[in-house]
Amino acid sequence: MEHAESTTAHKIVRLYIAQLALELEGADAALRHDAIIDAEQHLSAAILAGATADVAITEYGTPAEIARAYMDADSTHRSWRSAPAATEHHTVATPTRRHLHEIPVFGAWFDRRAWGAIAYFGAVGFILSIGYFIWSVTIGSLVIGLAPIVIGIPLLVLLLGSARALCLFEGKVVQLFLGVRMPQRTQPIQGADHVGFWQRIWCWLRDVRSWLSLGYLLGNFPVSLVLFVIIAVLTASSVVLMSLPFMHFAGAPIAQVDLDSGVNIQAFGETIPDENGEVRLPLIVSIGLGVVGFLMFTGTLWIARGFGWMYGHVVQAIQVARPQAVNPPRIQ
Amino acid sequence: MGKYSELLAKQYCTEYTTNFVPPDIADKLLRDLSLGTAWLVVLAAIARAATPIHGYEIARQLADEAPEGLSFKQGTLYPMLRSMEADGLVKSTLVASHEGPARKCFTLTAEGRRVLNAWCETWRSTNKWVNRVLGGIDGTR
Repeated sequence: MEHAESTTAHKIVRLYIAQLALELEGADAALRHDAIIDAEQHLSAAILAGATADVAITEYGTPAEIARAYMDADSTHRSWRSAPAATEHHTVATPTRRHLHEIPVFGAWFDRRAWGAIAYFGAVGFILSIGYFIWSVTIGSLVIGLAPIVIGIPLLVLLLGSARALCLFEGKVVQLFLGVRMPQRTQPIQGADHVGFWQRIWCWLRDVRSWLSLGYLLGNFPVSLVLFVIIAVLTASSVVLMSLPFMHFAGAPIAQVDLDSGVNIQAFGETIPDENGEVRLPLIVSIGLGVVGFLMFTGTLWIARGFGWMYGHVVQAIQVARPQAVNPPRIQ
Repeated sequence: MGKYSELLAKQYCTEYTTNFVPPDIADKLLRDLSLGTAWLVVLAAIARAATPIHGYEIARQLADEAPEGLSFKQGTLYPMLRSMEADGLVKSTLVASHEGPARKCFTLTAEGRRVLNAWCETWRSTNKWVNRVLGGIDGTR
């Protein structure tokens, strides 16, 4: 009888959650995730405290009311300073910032996310990905090596637990640099309480986010390496090209060559290199290459921003993955 | 299944459409007032708790203490806590529970306490002022 009541309560909560998710369709995935986790945890706590599912839900608020409360809180508070992407349609930016940011093509120069992406892919993210990879491969090798004896299993749990923690940390870094919001609520591992040691380990092992996180830490390294090379090469080339006109006006040579090498180019009426072996480009060439560099860096900002958007949403998708869709929360 | 769940089931089966109705001015004023006061009471509920307090407990206390006729939807607490945490007014820690999964419990930060104190002052003086003016229209002054 008690089991039947529990199953009914379970179904009602699931129905409510489905309705809430539907009301939040189109909202930011991180906000949707948090709203669902909050509702699940609150309703579970209320039912555990003795309320019926119907009373708990009525007191909690209708899905439409709750969805509106989340959307309102999201759009009217200054909470998401670190993540401008999700709020830009709701908040009123200052006219100057909005104007600069919305300039066609060259607006990327005033976009915080584009600069954040350059910093992330060009340095921070790449360095972190090396650290994650070394950790995962080291502990992963130990797990495989020790698998025949029992100690391999707790080590595997350690690996998966650390992968989840590192992935959460990575989420914060991604939110800061790439402007893609991460959920604030962490889903507990379902069923990892009230059960014995081996069952608890089994809960860890079957949790989809543990494996997704581990997959991320391992797969992140080659992806970050490729992105690092692309962004670093594009940025360095653009900066060098953009510096040419300045070097010309400063009278500095762009290179020094050995006169015995036989290199001798005639361009725009000038001989390159000059009699001292110093290479100076003609003014028109320096300015032309400077413009090419400027355009190239504008393109780099857009590319970095695009990579940042995709990369950020992959990290977000891992964090909002919902194992509960298969294994709904246990309500007694 | 109860009445509410039947209603939910019906709603869930019908096609989802958004019918946006512009709120009338009374609704807007009520919402503006509720939001400000709700933040104040939530901060106060966290401040008076001796130990870190979890969301369900705050919601239950506020619902129990809400005056008759004032409907407090417990679910509206969580987006507030979320915004407060992002604004640095409260901080959360996961606390193990004997009854279920670990729960997120909240405490005030120094900034949260400063905001609460400032807000209490404002609330008390506003309350006095509003009551004084309202007394002039309903004769209860």
